[in-house]
Amino acid sequence: MLTRSNPVLADGTKISDLINLDTREVKMRVLSDAELYQLEMEKIFAKTWIFLAHETEIPNSGDFVQRDMGSDSVLVTRDREGQVHVVLNVCTHRGMKVSTLDMGNTQAHMCIYHGWAFKPNGDFIGAPVDKECMHGKMKSKAELSLTKARVSVYGGMIFATWNIEGPSFDEFLGDAKFYYDTMWCRTTKGMEVLGPPQRFIIKANWKTAAEQGACDGYHTLTLHRWLGEIGPYAKKPGAEGGGADLTPEMYGVEVWTDHGHTMRCIDLDRKVRRITGQDPSELTPEQKLAVLPPPGLTPEMIPDVVSRLSPEQVQVMSSNPPQVGNFFPNGLFEFIYLPTADGKVTGAMALHTYVPMGPDKFMFMNWILAEKDTPPEQKAAMLRISCQLLGTSGMVEQDDSDTWPHQTIVSKGAMSRHITLKYQAKYETGKPDGWPGPGHVGSGFTKDDTNWSFWQYWHELMTQAS
Amino acid sequence: MLAHLLEPTPLPPTVRSNRLPVGSPLYNECVEFLIDEAEMLDELRFAEWSQLLTQDIEYNVPQRLTRPVRMQDGTIIRTVQHMHDNHASLMLRVRRITETRSAWCEDPPSRTRRLVSNVRVYKTDKPNEFKVQSYMLLTRNRFDFDYFDLIPCDRHDVLRKDGDSLQLARREVLIDQSVLGTPNLGIFL
Repeated sequence: MLTRSNPVLADGTKISDLINLDTREVKMRVLSDAELYQLEMEKIFAKTWIFLAHETEIPNSGDFVQRDMGSDSVLVTRDREGQVHVVLNVCTHRGMKVSTLDMGNTQAHMCIYHGWAFKPNGDFIGAPVDKECMHGKMKSKAELSLTKARVSVYGGMIFATWNIEGPSFDEFLGDAKFYYDTMWCRTTKGMEVLGPPQRFIIKANWKTAAEQGACDGYHTLTLHRWLGEIGPYAKKPGAEGGGADLTPEMYGVEVWTDHGHTMRCIDLDRKVRRITGQDPSELTPEQKLAVLPPPGLTPEMIPDVVSRLSPEQVQVMSSNPPQVGNFFPNGLFEFIYLPTADGKVTGAMALHTYVPMGPDKFMFMNWILAEKDTPPEQKAAMLRISCQLLGTSGMVEQDDSDTWPHQTIVSKGAMSRHITLKYQAKYETGKPDGWPGPGHVGSGFTKDDTNWSFWQYWHELMTQAS
Repeated sequence: MLAHLLEPTPLPPTVRSNRLPVGSPLYNECVEFLIDEAEMLDELRFAEWSQLLTQDIEYNVPQRLTRPVRMQDGTIIRTVQHMHDNHASLMLRVRRITETRSAWCEDPPSRTRRLVSNVRVYKTDKPNEFKVQSYMLLTRNRFDFDYFDLIPCDRHDVLRKDGDSLQLARREVLIDQSVLGTPNLGIFL
């Protein structure tokens, strides 16, 4: 049984004073408090599994990329046996970064300060001037290895944690795994990144983005209103919804889990009817997936997908596929069907992380992916539309990046820090009839339960005795 | 094969012997184009700016990576870029600002200043097309923030002469940051 603690901040405020589990409110102070940020680094980012890279970024022996696990720089490497490692990018000698490069290939990472060298798995190789034994005789070579994280590769995605004895990655995913398998593990060949991730800095607290990433659908109607005005969801005259109203797009099924992983599943029948003109009730799950293949797939790839998943997973995928969701704490994914001007549908597959860089700054990273078997022309189309709508210059996500800094600035005010973020719109539906998947499920218009589950797990980890 | 599909069409090479002298009529015309263009964008005259774009324009902002001196060839990434646009997508960006009231990241708009310098003009294989390289320092200020986002960059353009006027047929913008210090590229470079 885990023991609880209730950390007290310097002014006497307890964590439990900042979040009201009954009324589902969080005080804005949590969006910029420096003490809380340090606690988050220790209790969340050093404890949970963190997404760092995709294995296709480091395909060859010796390949590495430099990434961040919370506030710690790490190297994500591949050794001669093809094994992936994550090691702290801090030389055990005098604390210089072992590598200052974004990426590269080497079997010996040499610190440029005094020349200590380390294998891709972090093992200490040696220090220059061997006969003088410059690493001393007080510590063994094993003790001078780079700090090694525990690694899990899931659907090609590399996650790591410093919690060596903690829950397995599958335990951490929990009920989300049933659904996430339908995206990340759906093909035999797997996915690939189409290039290195975009990176840019936002002067905001990481949680402004992360709690939104826990499936906030509601903001789409206002903040992304342009999508319905002139964007890809602009309605033809007389179509449902009318005008710029995006309300119909936000009906579906939402799933949230006890570890803060959440997703919004869209009504595929509606899309099948609207985009293909076919009556979905006359189609089998396989046929539905073939007439409107999920982003990155083609009709030819569907039999492989169906063979890899359970009938229950295929049912979800062909009726209410997850379109957007998050990996607690700081990851987000999008598997979006995008209508294009020529009446077709292009998919976008993107993965974000919001890397904390202090209480009021984070780095937005955006990976754009496709299935390895996605036809090249389709990959190129997916790449372009992803780049135009998401990430750095994305016409959708550029508006998000102007909201988060203001929330962060506001949260510092003597009065404002006591204002609460509210998550009080609750599902009252329960699971739809015949819903085969696990987790907490609500059906209908998007609500706050998914975002709230982010904060529930945040609270659970922040009050866990270490 | 795949890289060819993912990446934009390569820019025409810079041929030193094809350099137009500073102060020559064509050189001056290209400089005036860049200065007028900067003014239009700084003054939010987007509809007017969009008239400068050819129908076949390719507009790209590659990513940059930090890599050793001997690997500088691998520091410009043209697969996943920061911007990867054509005429239709640029026009959608313009219309988003001019025709909706919900382009929040530029409404209210940034105050921008595009300082263009170090202009070099080269003839290309096509008599009506010129490769134009310039440095630009873009300063961006928003809301009541007391700081500026600085976006220093190296622009590689192709300007096409159509009758009396020039149009922008290609642009590649190399920003001097691997991690951008501005929260979005909701502005044109």
